[in-house]
Amino acid sequence: MMDTQWDTYEVFHQTKKGDPHMYVGSVHAPDPEMALQMARDQFARRLKCVSLWVVNSKNIASTDYQNEDFFAQVTDKSYRDPKAFEAPDKESPNEH
Amino acid sequence: MSIDFPSSVPRESVLRFILALADDELMLGHRDSEWTGYSPILEEDIAFSNIAQDELGHSLVWYALYEQLTRKTPDAMAFEREWNDFTCCRFVTYPKGDFAYTVVRQYLFDEGEQVMLTALGQSSVQQLREIAGKLVREETYHLLHSKSLVVRLGDATEESRRRMKAAVDDAFPQALGMFERLEDEDELVKSEVFPGNDVLKAQWLNRVVPVLTSAKLPPPVSHQNGSYAINVKGDDGGRKKSHTQHLKQLVDDLQLVYRIAPMAKW
Repeated sequence: MMDTQWDTYEVFHQTKKGDPHMYVGSVHAPDPEMALQMARDQFARRLKCVSLWVVNSKNIASTDYQNEDFFAQVTDKSYRDPKAFEAPDKESPNEH
Repeated sequence: MSIDFPSSVPRESVLRFILALADDELMLGHRDSEWTGYSPILEEDIAFSNIAQDELGHSLVWYALYEQLTRKTPDAMAFEREWNDFTCCRFVTYPKGDFAYTVVRQYLFDEGEQVMLTALGQSSVQQLREIAGKLVREETYHLLHSKSLVVRLGDATEESRRRMKAAVDDAFPQALGMFERLEDEDELVKSEVFPGNDVLKAQWLNRVVPVLTSAKLPPPVSHQNGSYAINVKGDDGGRKKSHTQHLKQLVDDLQLVYRIAPMAKW
């Protein structure tokens, strides 16, 4: 029997030109063009939106939750954190 | 502030014209809303709920213009009229059917709205030009959605093809009712309020026939000397308030709560 189940597409939403596209969820669709339309109805009706990306979920490579070693920190690496620096406050750049 | 038309425009005819536009949107919006919670997939449930709200919103825009000209409120026009006092085409009043019928109806209606709103962009009546320019932006996306579904479902599986074919057989003659000749058609055309239903119907056929044909859902038309001849009888009557019991059922539903407490504030 023919598979009539639609693919899922992951949806990325941009609020303002220049901002990063943020992941917002997924939709079912038969192809990328329809996925964009579905994404528009699902995610861009209430949120302000200037651009959407959709990616077929099959095209996303991901890590395996079982493979904890992939992210393991076996020695103390805290010296690598730039925590000794004071970051300037983005909100009031003129004070520094 | 009161607004009114230039004296060259037949006022009563334009009022009836606006009301028909509003009634079409109200009824189709209601029928689309009947899919909320019942669509075949979640994405379409949300899409059709959106479209339903958009169509109701568009009916409100037309009723609001009508109110400016007559002081009859949108609520009065939607909730206090008898079912056989509406002038929507019959096409938008029929039950939602299966999803194929809904998709085909929406597509045929969306193409009809495109040609109507585009034509109204050139209307001699400023208010019609302004509203048409605003609504067409949203309608373009309804059309994109319904057209995408028609093209894909027309030739997807045996079942989708069978259902879509039956939907076109039912909906195509009904859709012709969108272009029923109006009682004051000649006055409206002469004063350039709109180019006339025959012109709109020809434009509509030029848009829908190639799409349906490419979706392997050929409608009952034949091509002759560069234009289309229609081989079925259109489902006219709505513009003359001649409706079926389906509209009575719809309006009973639509007005039920309002009629229980007509003076209630919501």
